[in-house]
Amino acid sequence: MAEEVETSLMVIVVDLHTRQRYLRQQPSQLVHVLDSIMTLANMHLMLKTKNKVAIVACNAARSDFIYCDSDAIQPQPIQGQSGNTVQKQSDGQYEVFAHLETMVKQNTRKFTLDEKSTFFDDRDGESLIAGALTLAMCYINRINREKPTGEKLNSRLLIVTGCAGGASQHMAYMNVFFTAQKQNIVLDVCSLDYELGLLQQGCDITGGLFLKIPQLQGLLQYLLWVFLPEPPIRKKLVLPPPARVDYRAACFCHRNLIDIGFVCSICLSIFCKFSPICTTCNTVFKPPTSLVPKKKKKPNKGVC
Amino acid sequence: MGGLHGVSTRRAAVTLAAGSGGRAFGIKCKCIVMADAGKASKQNQSKTFQCKNLHDYLKTLPASTLDRLYNHPTTCLAVYRELPEIGRHYVIRILFVEQPVPQAVVASWLSQENSKEHNEVTKVLKELQVWQEAPIPGGLPGWILNPIFKKNCRMALLGGGRANCIQSQLDADSKPRDIPFLDQYATERWECVLHYMVGSQQQEGISADAVRLLLHARLMKRDEEDGSPVITREGFQFLLMDTAQQVWHFILQYLDTVQEHNLDLVECLTFLFQLSFSTLGKDYSTQGMSEAMLKFLQHLREFGLVYQRKRKGGRFYPTRLALNIAAGQTSAPGDIERVGYIVVETNYRVYAYTDSNLQVALVALFCEMMYRFPNLAVGILTRDSVRQALRSGITAEQMINFLRLHAHPRMVANGPPVLPPTVVDQIKLWENERDRFNFSEGVLYSQFLSQQDFQVLRDHAQDQGVLIWQNERQRTMVVTKGGHDDVKRFWKRYNRGND
Amino acid sequence: MVNVVKGVLVECDQAMKQFLLHLDETMALGCRFIIQNLDETHLFISADILTTLQSRIDDLMDQVSFPLVEKDS
Repeated sequence: MAEEVETSLMVIVVDLHTRQRYLRQQPSQLVHVLDSIMTLANMHLMLKTKNKVAIVACNAARSDFIYCDSDAIQPQPIQGQSGNTVQKQSDGQYEVFAHLETMVKQNTRKFTLDEKSTFFDDRDGESLIAGALTLAMCYINRINREKPTGEKLNSRLLIVTGCAGGASQHMAYMNVFFTAQKQNIVLDVCSLDYELGLLQQGCDITGGLFLKIPQLQGLLQYLLWVFLPEPPIRKKLVLPPPARVDYRAACFCHRNLIDIGFVCSICLSIFCKFSPICTTCNTVFKPPTSLVPKKKKKPNKGVC
Repeated sequence: MGGLHGVSTRRAAVTLAAGSGGRAFGIKCKCIVMADAGKASKQNQSKTFQCKNLHDYLKTLPASTLDRLYNHPTTCLAVYRELPEIGRHYVIRILFVEQPVPQAVVASWLSQENSKEHNEVTKVLKELQVWQEAPIPGGLPGWILNPIFKKNCRMALLGGGRANCIQSQLDADSKPRDIPFLDQYATERWECVLHYMVGSQQQEGISADAVRLLLHARLMKRDEEDGSPVITREGFQFLLMDTAQQVWHFILQYLDTVQEHNLDLVECLTFLFQLSFSTLGKDYSTQGMSEAMLKFLQHLREFGLVYQRKRKGGRFYPTRLALNIAAGQTSAPGDIERVGYIVVETNYRVYAYTDSNLQVALVALFCEMMYRFPNLAVGILTRDSVRQALRSGITAEQMINFLRLHAHPRMVANGPPVLPPTVVDQIKLWENERDRFNFSEGVLYSQFLSQQDFQVLRDHAQDQGVLIWQNERQRTMVVTKGGHDDVKRFWKRYNRGND
Repeated sequence: MVNVVKGVLVECDQAMKQFLLHLDETMALGCRFIIQNLDETHLFISADILTTLQSRIDDLMDQVSFPLVEKDS
C-alpha cells in the first residue's frame, strides 16, 4: 500500500486529413480506423481503473479534442448541456466504454462537418499534427497539475496518421519533441502509409516506438500489441526493434534532407544553399570566402 | 465533554477516561485481549491477519462457479483488472484469436530475463480459469482463452449481449443526490460499524445481522462472562486497515454467509461487480431485480455501500464504498474520501486534527494520549504504548501504514518520506525487540555412540519433519516435542534391528 | 547409547545468548538452567524456568531502553 499510485494518461492524435491514401481509395475505411482507435482507448481504460485517455483530431485546417475529461461520463445532466449523460445501457458493454464511443462518434462528426474544416480546402496543406501535439501536451500539463499529491502520472502520446512529410512544420515538431523529452512524455507513432523520417526522430528522442503497419486490416492488433503496453512494461516485452533513424535535417529553403548545409549563427536555421539574408530571422551574412578552412598559424611554442 | 466518557469498559477495547490533574484529557488504551495475549499468543505471533484479495478469493471457488461468474461481462472486467500486468497484456493479445496459441509462442512474448514472471503469470491465468491448455494440430501444447470469459470480456469491451441487471433510471430523480452527499452518507454508515467495534457509545443503528457478521468474521467474539460481543486481535488489525480493504474483507465474510440468507453466491458477486462498475452520483433502478437481490441490496444499504432514500423508492445510488470493491485491492487508497488528519513529529508526538471519537480511539490504540481539544488530540508514541499495541496483535507495519494513510496533507506535501524515518524505524525496532527470542519446546538427543547412528536418526527425523536443530560434528539434534515419541519408537526398532 | 533430555530450544542473536550465559553463570534465577550450549545462536534450556526467564528479559529490556521523550508531568 505504501507504493505509489500510478496512473497512465494516453493522448491519441488522429489524423483526419482527407488526402490520406486510404481515405481517398475507400472513404468507409475511416470507420475501421476510428473503431480500432476507440477500442484501443477502451482497452487502455480497461487495464487500470484510474487510467485516463484523451483523443485529439486534426486536419489541414485545425485540431481539436474529440474526447477529453470534460466529455467524461457525468452522473447528472448539467444545465444547458445535454449528451454528456449516460444513455440507458441496452447491452452488456461497460457504461464508460459505451459512453466513450458515443462521444467520439458525435465529436468526430462535429469536427469534420465544422465550417472551418469544410471551408478550407484540404489540398492546400498538410495536416496540423504538430499543432495537435501541442494541444495534447498542454492538456497533459494541466492534468498533471490537477492530480492529487502523491500520485504518479505516466503520460504518453500516440499519433495515428496516413500522411507523408511534415517538413513545413519542422520547427514546431522539433519544439514538441524536445519539450516532450523534457517532460518525460513518450511519443509513439503508428504510420498507416509512409516512413516518416521526422516523426521517427521524435520517437527516438522521447524513447517511443515508431511502426509503419504493413496492412490496414490488422490495425487494431498492431495497436494492441505494440502501443498498448505502457513504457515500463515494454522493457519486459519483446517488441519490434527500433529502425535506424535518419537524423538528417530538412533545409528551411527547399525542404530537402541534407547532410551538410549552412546554419544561421543567430537562429540555427538550416539552408542547403547560401543565402545572404536568413529567411527566419533576417540576419544579414557576409558572402562566404571559401568553404575550405584557412591554414592555421603554427602555435607559438613556449608561450602559454 | 461528558459524552466522551460514556463508554463501558467491559465491552470496550478503548477506554476514554477522564484525565487527572491539570490535563485537558487523558485517553488510555486498554485492551481486553491483552489478558489472553500472554504466553499462548507468543507462538502464533507471526501469524498476522490476512486479508485475501480478489484473486485469492476466486481461487477458492470451484471451476463451475467461476464459469457461471464469467457469464457476466462486469465480472470478467473485475477479474481482468485483478490479473498481473503482464497477464492483462497476454489476454488482450489473444482476445481476438480463435484457435489455440502455442505455449512456446506465448513464452517468447516476454524477454528471456523475465521468464520467471512469465511462469507466475501463466499459473495465475490457469488458476483463475482465464485460459486453458489446449493442444494445437501439430501436437504442441497451446493456450486458449476460456470461451465464456472471452465472449463476455469482448462484450464488455465492444458491446452486444444482454443488458446488466442494474438498469439506469429513465426518469430523473426529483431530489437528486450529489457526490459529496453520497460520500458523507457512506462514511457515516461505515463508521457506524467501526464505532460499534471499538465500543464507542454510538451503538445504535447497527442491526443484529451486522453483529452476527462481525462475530462470524471473528472481528468480535462473545465475552465469556456475559456474552456481549468484544473486539478480538483480528478486530484491532481490521480497524487499522484502509476503508477499501475493510469493506472488501467485510464483504468476503458476508459472502461466506449468503447461503444462510437463501441468496445465491454467484448472483450476489455479480451484483457486487456490476455495482462496482457503475457511475458515482448516478441513480439506478431496482426494476427487474429479483426478491433475493432486493434483500441483498438492503444489506448493502446498511453498510453504506448503496444509498436509498426510501426502501421501496425503486431507485438507489451506489456510493464510493461499492465502487472501490473491485478496485480497492490493487489501487490502494482509492479515491480520497477524507483528508488525512495526523501529523507525526520527529519527537514522537502525534497530533490528530479531528473531532471524531473513532479516529482518536484508533490513534489511541498505539499512542499514549496526552491532551484533547475540540478539534485536536495530542498523543505520544512511547515504547510502552507501542508494545501494548504489539501485544494486542497489531503489527508495526500496520501502525506505520495507518499513520501514513491518514497523514495530514501538509505531511504528504513535505514528503516523501511522509513520516519521519526515525519514528518509522523506532516502531520497527520496538517490534523486533520482541522477536529476539524464539522458543520452541523440544527434546535433545546427544552422545550418540557412532556417527552412523546419529545420521540414521537424524535423517528419519528430517523425513518426518520434526527436526528443528542438528549438528553433525557434535552428534546432537533437537526434535519437536510432538515428534519425540515417533523418533523414540524408531530408535528402539533400529537398535533391535542392529542387535 | 543416546542421552535424551526434554527442554526448550532457544534461538536468539549472539548478544542475547551472552546475556543468558551470564544469567546462568551467576545463578541469577536461583539455579543453572542451560542444559547445553549448542552453537552461536542456539541454546537448550530447561523448560520450567521459561516464564521466569521471560519476565527477567522483559526487565532487562526495560532497563536498557531509554525513554525517548520527556513527558511533561
